[in-house]
Amino acid sequence: MILRIARKEFVDTWRDGRFRLGALVTALLLVTAGLLAWRQTERMAQEREAAAALERENWLEQGEKNSHSAGHYGVNVFKPLAPLALFDRGIEPFVGTTLFLEAHRQNQASFVPAQDATAMRRFGELTAAAGLQWLAPLLIVLLAFGSIAGERERGTLRQTLSLGVSPLQLVLGKTLGLGIALSVLLAPLGVAGLIGLSQAQVDPAFGLWTRAGALALAYGLYFALALVGGVAVSALAPNARSALIVLLAMWAAGCVVAPRLASDVAHSRLPLPALAEFEKALGEDLQNGLDGHDTRSKQMEEFTARTLKEYGKSRVEELPFNFYGLAMLESERIAGTVFDHHFGALWDRIEAQDRFVTSCGALAPLLALRSASMALSGTDFTHHRHFAVAAEQHRREFVRVLNEDLKNNAKPGDHAYVAGRALWEQLPQFQLQPLSASTALSVASSGLALLGAWLGVALAALLWAAGRLRSTLA
Amino acid sequence: MSTLLFEVRLALRDRATWVLLALFAFALAYALNGGAELARHQRAIVGPALEQSRMLDSQVRDALQRQTIDPRQLARQPLVAALPPAPLPTLASGQADLAPSVETVSLWRLQTPTDARSELENPSRLLSGRFDLAFVLVWLFPLFLLGLAYDLLAGDRESGTLRLVLSRGVRPGAWLAVRALARGAPALALALLATWASSWWGDVASSAPDSGARLAHACVLVGAYGLFWLSVAALVNALARSAAAAATALGAAWVAVVLVAPTLLNIVVESLHPMPSRAELVASAREASGDAERRGNEVLNSFYRDHPELAPPGMQVDFAQRILAVQEDVARAMDPVAERFDAQLDAQQRIVELWRFASPAIAVHEALTDLAGTGYWRQRAFREQLAGFKDAVHAFFSPRIHKNNWLTKADADQFPRFVFAEEPAERWSSRVRLSILGVLALAVVAALIAVSRLSARRLAADAR
Repeated sequence: MILRIARKEFVDTWRDGRFRLGALVTALLLVTAGLLAWRQTERMAQEREAAAALERENWLEQGEKNSHSAGHYGVNVFKPLAPLALFDRGIEPFVGTTLFLEAHRQNQASFVPAQDATAMRRFGELTAAAGLQWLAPLLIVLLAFGSIAGERERGTLRQTLSLGVSPLQLVLGKTLGLGIALSVLLAPLGVAGLIGLSQAQVDPAFGLWTRAGALALAYGLYFALALVGGVAVSALAPNARSALIVLLAMWAAGCVVAPRLASDVAHSRLPLPALAEFEKALGEDLQNGLDGHDTRSKQMEEFTARTLKEYGKSRVEELPFNFYGLAMLESERIAGTVFDHHFGALWDRIEAQDRFVTSCGALAPLLALRSASMALSGTDFTHHRHFAVAAEQHRREFVRVLNEDLKNNAKPGDHAYVAGRALWEQLPQFQLQPLSASTALSVASSGLALLGAWLGVALAALLWAAGRLRSTLA
Repeated sequence: MSTLLFEVRLALRDRATWVLLALFAFALAYALNGGAELARHQRAIVGPALEQSRMLDSQVRDALQRQTIDPRQLARQPLVAALPPAPLPTLASGQADLAPSVETVSLWRLQTPTDARSELENPSRLLSGRFDLAFVLVWLFPLFLLGLAYDLLAGDRESGTLRLVLSRGVRPGAWLAVRALARGAPALALALLATWASSWWGDVASSAPDSGARLAHACVLVGAYGLFWLSVAALVNALARSAAAAATALGAAWVAVVLVAPTLLNIVVESLHPMPSRAELVASAREASGDAERRGNEVLNSFYRDHPELAPPGMQVDFAQRILAVQEDVARAMDPVAERFDAQLDAQQRIVELWRFASPAIAVHEALTDLAGTGYWRQRAFREQLAGFKDAVHAFFSPRIHKNNWLTKADADQFPRFVFAEEPAERWSSRVRLSILGVLALAVVAALIAVSRLSARRLAADAR
């Protein structure tokens, strides 16, 4: 019986001009978004590759200079685009793309793409993910609002139930029928997307297919809960009009208001420091040490004394290596702990804000989906942090090699020492190892769990609504 | 008039109306608070920067009164350029959370293409956008209006009361207009009240002489936007057969105007005028400076060949003169590349200006940020003046360093200092007025179509 009802509902839906129009518009927008994103990500990937190659050339061709000066000359690294960014761009437009690595300083990524855009960007970007997150639920509202309430209005509900169809069979059949109609629209788009992805060259460590599978699960749960919830509201509402208004209000609250509100509340509960404050605290700790007991100069004095004692010398010039190289190594090591402390705290705070917003997914499922979708696509803050941390490790290694060279190859007191291309070539080009799919899954897991819980709640509401259906008719 | 009052009373008797209005009022108040908070945050950043700039300036003047100073020494001081707080920041946060409003300018780094450092912000918050007044007015205000007015007529048509009303000989167009106004009036009043409140809420608005004019324009703009949505509601009701159909159509209209049209326009502008790559800019600038440094002496010689008036006595060149000559060389290579970014953004903005009427949401949002002083135009003015300031810094120091001239009392008045000049009122008002007229015109067109669809005879036939 359920299948028969589902079939009838499916046929009705496909015959409905409104659904066909809505489906056509949604499909067109999704396809446009997908194609544009493809073109754009390809162009951006090429640009960043070209820039990285040119920057490598700059580094190798910088000429002969003191190895510490080369540390100040520094090197720029560019953030590679995650392969799934063409599905969900996430925070990419709002984080820096270029990171300058130099001696003594840990910098933040600069050149935020949204700063080079008109305010239209702030209306939101049309990506496949945005279409599925915002427009697909609207299409589902359009499908579901009249499913039961419409029959009630026309009087056919009473008739159907009097024929011996149980309310449960009716609501399940209707939900199934609508679900099939929706799948007929979305499945081909999904398959096309997967075929597109299979053409892309992706580092196997990224775990493309695990991520794509989890994305499909996340969006599947989201659509299912929207559909089941929509039919439940339709079954509870006195007429189609009320069902529509209630569903549209839920959509507006959950999709339009919730993201901004949740971000605002997260910020007021877990505020970030102002840039000036952050830099002041960082600068003070670089000067005075993290514990505040020993200033940097005192630490370095002690280090000098220790080294002299170890080698049994009284002056640094007597050491068998260039002491300034060693001192620079020690100084970088101390600064590294300060940078780790401050940047770590800042990034922890941002991740805590993001976790808070995800937990607001308990009130608005879009937030749970959005965070899972960005994490799985590799475009959330955790992935950005992964890039920043990897770049910082690269910086420390690069500065270490240069300072080691100074320590071992420059004669004590020789200020004219220069290194050349042979040393520059020893420093490898920056390569970002992608964050593993399992890490992405663990970040996305809370969002996925919330979506699962929401589907459970929606199903319970549907069952309850089915139970009430007969009593309200009687 | 009596019909209007009657309709208002009728609408207010409905509990749903009160719920909607309470939610709307709450959203407006929350947004005003959020906007004021961001504005205070901005002041906390810009205030000290402006103060620092003033202090440095007066210190330099004082010092020059007493002694001559080596320009190399002074050039080491970073100069601060700050965009003063916006005239009506609570109205719209615009790009204030994204675009840097303070930049330090240093002679030795004029050609380094690093951006001014942005404030620390969670990128997902930038992605979501702020819950500011512009958001409530552009996104939510129409939803509340439509919630109050979606069944202006369709409900009566369904229930049969329409026939009753028509039998009393009322003019359907006028009746619908009065009804739409009555339903929308409370929300419209709240929106206008909040717009007005943005001038004093949180005490963050600046005392700019044109603040009053900006506020008046904002009120007219918000009123026009409200009228547009009421006209759309009337139009849809003139065509729809049931309240549910009207609600569906209005929901679709809102999605098209507020969600889809702006993102499509964004796609169009970014496809037509794609931004060059910042990554490539950074790498090419370093290539250019590397080249110039390697050709050091050659660059220096050709520089003094081109500018013999700047050559130091006896051609005794020091490190600073060499750096300056290299910088000039890099500037020649890089300026055209860097200018392409501004040119492309300008071209993008021109398309936005042209096509803003494709969706009143775009026109209103652009105009609100323009009035608030947090939009494209004020930022552009800042960027342009900043570029001018960098030129002035270069023009001040370069000849003095090249010729080894120490700074004297006479140089104090010419010492560069950044003072932001606000755009003249005629400029912003002409842009905003065009937006207001455009939105009003769209409202009138929708209303006229609605009325033309509403002859009494046609309605009577429908009602039957």
